[in-house]
Amino acid sequence: MLKLHQNYLVLLLLVLFISSCKEKSASSDADAETEEELVQRALAIHKEVLTLDTHADTPLRMIEPGFDMAERHDPNETGSKVDYPRMKEGDLDAIFFAAFVAQDIRDDDGNTRAKELCLQMIDSVITSTERNSDIVGLALNPEDAYSLEKEGKRAIYIGIENGYPIGDDLSNVELYFNKGVRYITLVHSSNNDLADSATDTNGAEHGGLSDFGAEVVAEMNRLGIMVDVSHGNDSLFYDAIALSKAPIIASHSNARAVTDHQRNMTDEMLKLMAENGGVVQLTMLADYLREAPPNAERDSAIAVLRANMKPIGEMTKEEKAALRQSFQQVNEKYPNPPATVTHVADHIDHIVEVAGIDHVGIGCDFDGGGGIEGVFDASEVMNITIELVRRGYTKAQIEKIWGGNLIRVFKEVQAVAEKIQS
Amino acid sequence: MVLQWLFILIALGFSKPEATHPLRLSLCEIEYSSGKQILSINLKLFLTDVNEAIVFDPYSKELAFCQPNEPAKANKMLMEYVNQFFYVKANGKKVELKIKRKKLSGEGENTALWVYFDYRHPAPLSSLEIKNAVFTDLFFDQNNIVYVHVNGKNKSMMLNKKTPVHKLKF
Repeated sequence: MLKLHQNYLVLLLLVLFISSCKEKSASSDADAETEEELVQRALAIHKEVLTLDTHADTPLRMIEPGFDMAERHDPNETGSKVDYPRMKEGDLDAIFFAAFVAQDIRDDDGNTRAKELCLQMIDSVITSTERNSDIVGLALNPEDAYSLEKEGKRAIYIGIENGYPIGDDLSNVELYFNKGVRYITLVHSSNNDLADSATDTNGAEHGGLSDFGAEVVAEMNRLGIMVDVSHGNDSLFYDAIALSKAPIIASHSNARAVTDHQRNMTDEMLKLMAENGGVVQLTMLADYLREAPPNAERDSAIAVLRANMKPIGEMTKEEKAALRQSFQQVNEKYPNPPATVTHVADHIDHIVEVAGIDHVGIGCDFDGGGGIEGVFDASEVMNITIELVRRGYTKAQIEKIWGGNLIRVFKEVQAVAEKIQS
Repeated sequence: MVLQWLFILIALGFSKPEATHPLRLSLCEIEYSSGKQILSINLKLFLTDVNEAIVFDPYSKELAFCQPNEPAKANKMLMEYVNQFFYVKANGKKVELKIKRKKLSGEGENTALWVYFDYRHPAPLSSLEIKNAVFTDLFFDQNNIVYVHVNGKNKSMMLNKKTPVHKLKF
């Protein structure tokens, strides 16, 4: 018996030795690859895999009078980060447009207005997909992303960022589902009636999920809407993951061990996410990607401007306007050192290490503050793939990161809903 | 010179961190009902943005809005700025904005200044033209969301540097 074990051990060592030689050889080949070849290989992968971004606040843009998603916009002039031409340029196949309603007063009036704004934004997305049906399609189910990609169209999914427009009426969840909503971020930057936020300056109110929030999660499970815990405080994460019958998502969150921000997720949370079968979608918000280094040159220049200011009461309107321009010029001259795709890949590496390759994705938060050097708008998302290829990620791994993982969760959420409804 | 360096040190200590609130946002709500014949307008602005626009320092305590030590000049300075970047025209006539009340909500970086205006307007209200370009002189990507509720009908829009003005007809 012992001898048999020894034989197996020798065989195992031999297999490990051969496979390590193979890896070394592959690595040598990779070393020989020029930068141009690497980029070409990465771009080919980027084109072949489904690329899905789970979070853009573009519906807010869509209620700007005259804003046309079919036109290309200059992000430096308009602030706009997503339109259909730039999705095509960046080979971004699918996106979740999140109807974002900023938290406001939590009473009947506030709830009614939040619902109306939310519905207006959802209708704007639907109208936009109808008007541009030659290049995009409204997507409702996981497989729609692939079928629309085959047709050469971008897939447009709908989410809601902030459960505030649900108000205190559970039936609104089904109303939004019927409109096409497939995930709901339970809370935003302040607590609401459903849940506690990670960034409410007044601290926790419900200790995570409220009783009504728990009902909303159950209803989302029943209907097949993904439960999104981004923006929630840690207790909300633990409540949602314990309560949800289906895997959950964080549509735009990063790793706290890499960047210490309360909006990011701890290693313990990442591990639980893996056990749950859920997915964390990396976001391109600079503050969540790296700690901003000091910017002494800019601060000194601004301090000099302030020190040389006339008393404000003695300034004319023209002098004030000129001074505002001077401050702007200083900010432009000494921008903060940027967050880059290197930071993005650092977070991905960490999540892969802690939770595994099956539990990470991309949710850029374009039009909601997202956009970094190299991934400033939808036209530049291929740079994420290039950095992943540079770090040795395979096509199969990149396919999971860029959409495969999210689609898997989406399918499971729908399967759970079918089971609950049957 | 010593004074200048003192200012520099103070400024370094209180320099604005990046992306205080990454999505540059303000809210405006306009409401009218023929029954009440009152056009009510309120603006919800981040206090750091207000301070940066008026006194060039996001963390300035000089204007002390809604505090017992709010100086008499605070409202005047606020409206001098607001009137440059915001207006409402009812039936083609510009509404004279007089502050009815103000309040603060939230804390720290998220502190918001609410400014309420009331304007008596006889029915019917046939059109509203709204300009909302507040803080677009500071931030090229400022988003100003405007909610309009007139006689039970609602319409919301986002105004910004590129599209600062919009007219609604009823």
